[in-house]
Amino acid sequence: MKKLILASIGFFMIHSSFAQKRYFTKTGTVSFRAGTAVEDIDGINKSTTSVFDATSGQMEFALLVKGFEFNSALMMEHFNENYMESDKYPKSVFKGTITNIDKLNFQKDGVYPVTVKGILEIHGVKKEVETTGSFKVSGETITSTAEFSVTLDDYKISIPGLVKDKISKTAKIKVNCSYAILK
Amino acid sequence: MKKLKKILLGMLITAIAGTGYGFYLFNKKPADVRKLTANYELTAATIVAEFNADETAANARYLDKVISTKGIVADVKVDTTGQATVFLDSGDPMAMVTCSFYSEEAVSAKNLQKGTEVTIKGKCTGKLMDVVLNKCSITQ
Repeated sequence: MKKLILASIGFFMIHSSFAQKRYFTKTGTVSFRAGTAVEDIDGINKSTTSVFDATSGQMEFALLVKGFEFNSALMMEHFNENYMESDKYPKSVFKGTITNIDKLNFQKDGVYPVTVKGILEIHGVKKEVETTGSFKVSGETITSTAEFSVTLDDYKISIPGLVKDKISKTAKIKVNCSYAILK
Repeated sequence: MKKLKKILLGMLITAIAGTGYGFYLFNKKPADVRKLTANYELTAATIVAEFNADETAANARYLDKVISTKGIVADVKVDTTGQATVFLDSGDPMAMVTCSFYSEEAVSAKNLQKGTEVTIKGKCTGKLMDVVLNKCSITQ
């Protein structure tokens, strides 16, 4: 009996260690475009941290708002001080799930469409977002891409009237990550 | 009449200077961190320890500042777009120093060997899991 219990515990442990296969990156890229025909406004963050669980599909992203790089000093200043208030809200976080994780085969190389749903926190405001993207499996590396839009107003980012025609009401966000297995 | 001319000329000069200054600001590039003198020189272990001890205080001291950090190369990652990131060991297994490089500096980052000591200069953007520096270059 004891042996049986031990064996089942052992089996359970092996099973759960498989279940907790996680992929991880610290060098994810998040970029956004919020410009209009009048002016390009682009920012890029190259040190985004992200992790996802290959079984449950749980997924998280975190980035430092001050880590966005711009082509213009003034844009960087306005982004941090006026719009994102990065001293007050230094981080942006997404917590959600890959809803079709069961359709992905991490043992088989290929490109898989994914749907991700969760809560995105920007500028201290949490809001639900849903987007589609893709996972490219090649061996132990997963390359992900996704693109979606957010409405600045939803996140209480207010644009002064003077520059209304220069800044888009929505920002297009692109996410690119290259994940490795977390050991 | 002469006075009026002077005033008008004065206004014109101010307007031109103002427009010029506005144009200058509008086109100004963010500072090249490679050309800036470091505000702080410390080891990877020290900066991680300071962020671990009191993140608010460390943010107040280091955010947006140019930091020169000395540490042992734990890992180098170069992605498909050529973007290079160097991780410095801090002695803390849960937190390193992430150094995201200028794309022009990626080549020098690629040549770094794991386990060697290096000094990297960059701008501190805060702490996620690691303390993050961006716009990095190797100084030594």
